[in-house]
Amino acid sequence: MTGRIMTGNEAVARGALRAGVKVATGYPGTPSTGCIAHLLTLDLPKRHVEWSTNEKVAFEIASGAAWAGHRALCTMKMSGVNVAYDALISIAYSGTNGGLVIYVADDPGVSAGMPEQDSRGFALMSYLPMLEPATPAEAYELVQRAFDVSEVTGAPVFLRTTTAIALGHAEVDAESPRAPAEIEPILEKDITRYTKAGSKICKDQHQASIDRLVRSGEYVQSMGLNRLTLASSEGGTGIVCVGAVNAYLPEALERVSMDAISLLEVRTTVPFPWDETQRLLEHCEQILVLEELEAHAERAVSVAAQQSGFSGAIIGKMNGPLSPIGEVGVTEILAGLNAAGLVLPQGSSESVSQSNAEGVAILPAKRPITVCAGCPHRGTYLAVDAAIQRAGFTKDDVMVTGDIGCTILGMNPPFDLLWNEVSMGSSISLAQGYVHAGVRTPVIATMGDSTFFHGGIPGLVNAIQHQVPMTLVVMDNGWTCMTGMQVNPGTHDGFQGGGRRVDLEAVIRGLGPDHMHVVDPFDLEATTDAVHLGLQSDGVTVVLAQRECAIQSSRRKVRVGTTTIDAEACILCKRCLNVTGCPALQIRESESGSPSMHIDFSQCTGCGLCASFCPTGAITHTVASKESS
Amino acid sequence: MKTCDMVLVGVGGQGIVTLGDLLARAACAADVPIAFVPTKGMAQRGGFVKVEVRLGRAGGGARIQEGRADVIVGMERSEVLKGVRFLRPGAHAVLYDHVWEPTGVMLGVDAYPARDRVLAELSDRAGRVVVLDPERRPRLGGQPAAANIFTLGALSGCAPVREALDPRMIESVVVQRWPKATETNLAAFHAGLQMGREAPDHGFSQFARKAPS
Ligand code: SF4
Ligand code: SF4
Repeated sequence: MTGRIMTGNEAVARGALRAGVKVATGYPGTPSTGCIAHLLTLDLPKRHVEWSTNEKVAFEIASGAAWAGHRALCTMKMSGVNVAYDALISIAYSGTNGGLVIYVADDPGVSAGMPEQDSRGFALMSYLPMLEPATPAEAYELVQRAFDVSEVTGAPVFLRTTTAIALGHAEVDAESPRAPAEIEPILEKDITRYTKAGSKICKDQHQASIDRLVRSGEYVQSMGLNRLTLASSEGGTGIVCVGAVNAYLPEALERVSMDAISLLEVRTTVPFPWDETQRLLEHCEQILVLEELEAHAERAVSVAAQQSGFSGAIIGKMNGPLSPIGEVGVTEILAGLNAAGLVLPQGSSESVSQSNAEGVAILPAKRPITVCAGCPHRGTYLAVDAAIQRAGFTKDDVMVTGDIGCTILGMNPPFDLLWNEVSMGSSISLAQGYVHAGVRTPVIATMGDSTFFHGGIPGLVNAIQHQVPMTLVVMDNGWTCMTGMQVNPGTHDGFQGGGRRVDLEAVIRGLGPDHMHVVDPFDLEATTDAVHLGLQSDGVTVVLAQRECAIQSSRRKVRVGTTTIDAEACILCKRCLNVTGCPALQIRESESGSPSMHIDFSQCTGCGLCASFCPTGAITHTVASKESS
Repeated sequence: MKTCDMVLVGVGGQGIVTLGDLLARAACAADVPIAFVPTKGMAQRGGFVKVEVRLGRAGGGARIQEGRADVIVGMERSEVLKGVRFLRPGAHAVLYDHVWEPTGVMLGVDAYPARDRVLAELSDRAGRVVVLDPERRPRLGGQPAAANIFTLGALSGCAPVREALDPRMIESVVVQRWPKATETNLAAFHAGLQMGREAPDHGFSQFARKAPS
């Protein structure tokens, strides 16, 4: 074999390099993170790759480069398209010069949280072509075709994968990168194209974007991206199989007996392959549509059927049996084939397999995810809880809004502190709504550093402007962690790769909150005092809790301190574990043979939090003599 | 070409995603088509991890249908239950019988499934069960060898895997990957391989702690 094993994300990165991409931007988000993350591991002279502040910024940067005539790529998870879309639809109406590709990874089946949305809806709304590969190898090919479509038609083009493709590993024959085109940047002054100044301009652009989609349809057809295979005899079932599902259809078809199956493999729901669909409808008696998430292709087939007077059944999601929820694999395909009347072979093992698939009789232990050993957020959650109690409330009385990222883990035991999670930066604006609704108890918002830069600043500006009495706790650990520790604007200078760190504290002070406290979350007293002061104060209080992510500092061998347990002194009251839930605390047999609390030193960072809760003083903590920040 | 579908489950931090990667490299070197996909929680350790690995199917998707896996591997006693629904009738199950208690269990608020019930569940639903005692890992220099390589050995010894991919290919990628730990990794791989091969074709085999000599 000549190929290499790589993920779909890496295949997109390599395909883009092969296509001569000049600028690549993105914001981390599972399952799309691996694309920019891979590019950042490479030495890429004459190209620019970055993690941007948010998806909208990332998209606008890529668009500027593409308007100037270069090929540009912008990556995000499906939720990121919600953020980028304000700019995206505007640029869709203007069109592009250089190839502009938006790589989005959807998450059917929800492996990573957030709404199970189908990005194809965005492509429909903005008349943008969207290519939908089924495997990493196809992703490598189709990202290159996406640049071609974009340049030939002038439309920005989406490339859409789903989790199993983006994170899936398979063999890809990737050729060596091509250098970006050696061109002078285009500086074109044309307000009819690059602004939205007035009704005529906007209506003309609307028409132009529709025309571009028509041209894209012709071009996609000329490339043969949507493959139609008609059965030799007329009649029978026609299957319309979309994107990711194409990787599983052959496996399902191996297991049924069938004759007269015709197949349309769809790799672009937008632009929809109308001609191929008409030919399929003319040839077949009934149609089965197999697609993940929403019934976009099925609706298009229904429209085509109505136009052509097709009267056979269209089987899919709109009238059952398939569901818009979750992934579509072999099980779901077989359910569809079954509804289409195809028979399973005699003596098939389907039914026996079914009994195992229905699940086991005993339940596995619950395993709620919590923050890592030594995570600074643990100190912040404990301090917020302590401050709530000191103010005379319980955590069931006080609204603490949550946000996206590791900080949301405060919703889980033992903290059980956060009430909600909406989108990047929402916690602070949601909190204001609760205050205006007349909630009698104090209102607290929590947020991470990357999230604050991404979408938190407008909400804080609003709170300060409108003098909303509330406390915002910003948990600044210096990295974008939930997605695997990416650099963000506040990360140390040494990791900025030629860029410069933005001082988060100075940013917040510059906005002018009424009160501001900067604390170390491992100093429980000081952090509790700061939050408690916020709960007592008028106006907006910001508590900035600063301490680097435990995983990142451990990688650099930076220790907070040393914590040890004297097994003899431990009475196994479990208070340390109960309060902190630290994964480094484990009950094991001591040398004496009786169980006691132990510390797993491969995980413990010596943060010392557990020591403050031991009633017998069995846990001792010494702060590291010289800490690096 | 033989196909083999495997589902590996366990807890983040046990090196399960690495096993998918090693199998992929070995398959690639042996000219066997492979697809694999990890499913894991967030960056934190200690959450559920699943890796689906498919050998011998060119161009197919990486997801394995429930009730159709040829082999499941669990690296934690409770988590292995999450792999059971993937077993096809007669499939192999390998359990590295490690217990990683969640905090709720240590605190006595959550239940942890009893060992005999977990093993009964595996015996009822798999055609062949291989249970590995963590204490059976070879020790070199006083330290037990890597649990995931030991388990990989046992997996490689199961007929559906070794018929689709030569265990020697797997062994050589393990050696290439950690040139400095060749000796302990080979010991772990071979110990596991032997147990994976030795277990009878059907039924339940337990490779329990050695009697003290
Ligand atoms: S000092 Fe205590 S709380 Fe902190 S990481 Fe170590 S065991 Fe966990
Ligand atoms: S709090 Fe102290 S006495 Fe109680 S279990 Fe922990 S170490 Fe032992």
